[in-house]
Amino acid sequence: MNHPTPETFDSNAREALGDPQLRGALRNLASVFGERRKLAILTVDDWEGLRERARAVKDETLAHLDTYLEAFAANAERAGARVHWARTGGEACEVVLRLLGERGATRVVKSKSMATEEIHLNRALEVAGIAPVETDLGEWIIQLAGETPSHIVVPAIHKTKGQIAELFAEKVGTLPTDDVAALTSAARRVLRERFAEAEVGISGVNFGVAETGTILILENEGNVRMTTSLPRVHVAVMGIEKIIPRFEDLDVFLKLLPRSGTGQRLTTYQSLITGTKRSPDDEGPEELHIILMDNGRSAMLRHPVTRQALACIRCGACLNACPVYQQIGGHAYGSVYPGPIGAVITPQLIGIGRAAQLPFASSLCGACREVCPVKIDIPELLLHLRAEIVEGTTAGTAAQHGPVKKKVVERLAFRLYALAWSSPRLYEWSARLLRVLQRPAVRDGRVGKVSGPLARLVPPLGAWTAWRDARPLAPRSFRELWRDELSGRTKEGRET
Amino acid sequence: MTARADGDEARRTILAAIRRNLVASAPFDAERREHEAGRRAPTSAPAASGEPATSALERFRQAFEAVGGRLAVVRGEREAAEAVREILELKRARRVAVSDSPLVERVIRQAQLGDVRLERAPDRAALFDCDAGVTSAQWAVAETGTLVLESDRERHRLASLVPPVHVAIVEAHRIRETLGEVLRATSERGADALSRTLTFVTGPSRTSDIELTLAIGVHGPGEVYVVILEGDDHA
Repeated sequence: MNHPTPETFDSNAREALGDPQLRGALRNLASVFGERRKLAILTVDDWEGLRERARAVKDETLAHLDTYLEAFAANAERAGARVHWARTGGEACEVVLRLLGERGATRVVKSKSMATEEIHLNRALEVAGIAPVETDLGEWIIQLAGETPSHIVVPAIHKTKGQIAELFAEKVGTLPTDDVAALTSAARRVLRERFAEAEVGISGVNFGVAETGTILILENEGNVRMTTSLPRVHVAVMGIEKIIPRFEDLDVFLKLLPRSGTGQRLTTYQSLITGTKRSPDDEGPEELHIILMDNGRSAMLRHPVTRQALACIRCGACLNACPVYQQIGGHAYGSVYPGPIGAVITPQLIGIGRAAQLPFASSLCGACREVCPVKIDIPELLLHLRAEIVEGTTAGTAAQHGPVKKKVVERLAFRLYALAWSSPRLYEWSARLLRVLQRPAVRDGRVGKVSGPLARLVPPLGAWTAWRDARPLAPRSFRELWRDELSGRTKEGRET
Repeated sequence: MTARADGDEARRTILAAIRRNLVASAPFDAERREHEAGRRAPTSAPAASGEPATSALERFRQAFEAVGGRLAVVRGEREAAEAVREILELKRARRVAVSDSPLVERVIRQAQLGDVRLERAPDRAALFDCDAGVTSAQWAVAETGTLVLESDRERHRLASLVPPVHVAIVEAHRIRETLGEVLRATSERGADALSRTLTFVTGPSRTSDIELTLAIGVHGPGEVYVVILEGDDHA
């Protein structure tokens, strides 16, 4: 199946806008999660204080990320885990394949992990002849459909229950009922069999605690517990930015993440796993492998503005608040990470050149910044990336990509604008010129649709004015009025 | 071994990249710190707002029932046994996984469950065939209605997960106010003493993945019963 890519964001978005079912689902998402989040915040005494503290913890960690990573690895290994380091997604996939190969394991269950989606782990396993089974309901649905997730928290939000019923009937052989409880039962039945026979469980990690080597994974369904308790081997893939310093730091994040993501006080389950079992007779896996993955994250440390994106705890609140995401959904971004956070980390993970349109997919309204539990200033980051793209300051951006080429007219226009409006005299003369130029477009005292050569020369002008009326420029500017009458002095300096 | 050598190489490279980028960022960091000097300092945890009117047990009940859990409060193990028997009868449980907690063992014995088949350390096939799992919990959190299971203290990781019904017998004095308290209590004796798996359970399993419509009972138990044991009766 052809998945949309970030390079074609503009056309992806246009396509999404023409999908009424998708837009209905997204409207529902925004209002339901928005309301729940608001209510959930009320159950906390000092929400702003929590955000500040969480951000401070993340800042502290990122400023000493190497030290904390080393402490985490040492403590995890002391408790019996094996820690592997992967510079790239490819390397991480290789580690997983090697672990499976060494153990002759083929029956693999997976819980939801955006990191494993990022590195296309499933594809790598399938190429090697292993069919990993996604066990999170939303992830299983999109796996059956051969699609990618469209939201960080609810991956199948773009699908209706009718579509899911058809999918299940086709792939699983269930009766085509769209009753949600029945669909869920069917999924439970099938996946339970997979759990019962699984040899290896692959999960992500929400937080890694440096002080103790603990990994924490949260969920609602119970598939993470199943994936990490039943099989003999547990492999956890963790981005290096998921580290926090102390065990007690978990408290502030457990207060923020569920409320921000789904409006719950707590998700149903949290699993805090520290190494492997103490005795062979105990329950749980015999082996725990933690893969610490870079894949572009260390590069984001290079500047305080880009570094803040590493504070992200993947709650999805920014997606739910974003007016752009609400209109087009996740697939249009062509990336595992959509929405506001996706717009700022995708270019950094896969290269600005390939995702140059994403930072421009925003009106900078700041809704994302308001809801972010760790106070990432996404608009600031968007502007930073836009500057990098336009000025071509980052390797691989400037000359070769479409968006920059198109902007020649825009650059010229802005240069003229800067020139003309830096001088009071030129400003006045340009205003007088515009007063003359606007006359053909003025109808019934309003400036209507601009068409013809001017609209073609300045592309947004035609589109903007197709739906908007503006007032024409006044016959005399305030400066002229002031000079001529209001200041009490005439042009020649005489009192009136 | 090549894999190990590769791994060491990757580790070195990643740590070096982190250090290099942090150094490159240093001049901008200084600028930014000045710029942000006016930002509010992180506040400490809000002070407790005095003694609440309701008891911890009552608060636990409210929070737990709000997420769909079912609670019974009993005095003494005999009453607990009666409550457990009722629940298992209601659920028509014929095969029940039990943890190795002495409390659970005593209660189950007194419950006189007749021809219910009890599985104490079931293999996978038996486990998946059980109708219910009975365990205790090391802690309970009043604020959120959460049960805290420590894998080092009791063998209940799978009995509390795989069967569709989970019954937890919890001594009332194990109820704490906040999750933070439990995080501290479980980790205060250092990393080596930390239970290898801590599981926090807040009600029955659920999902809203299909059209944001709530469905209860996905992979974890769809029903969770808590029997709160008050009093010191260990007869």
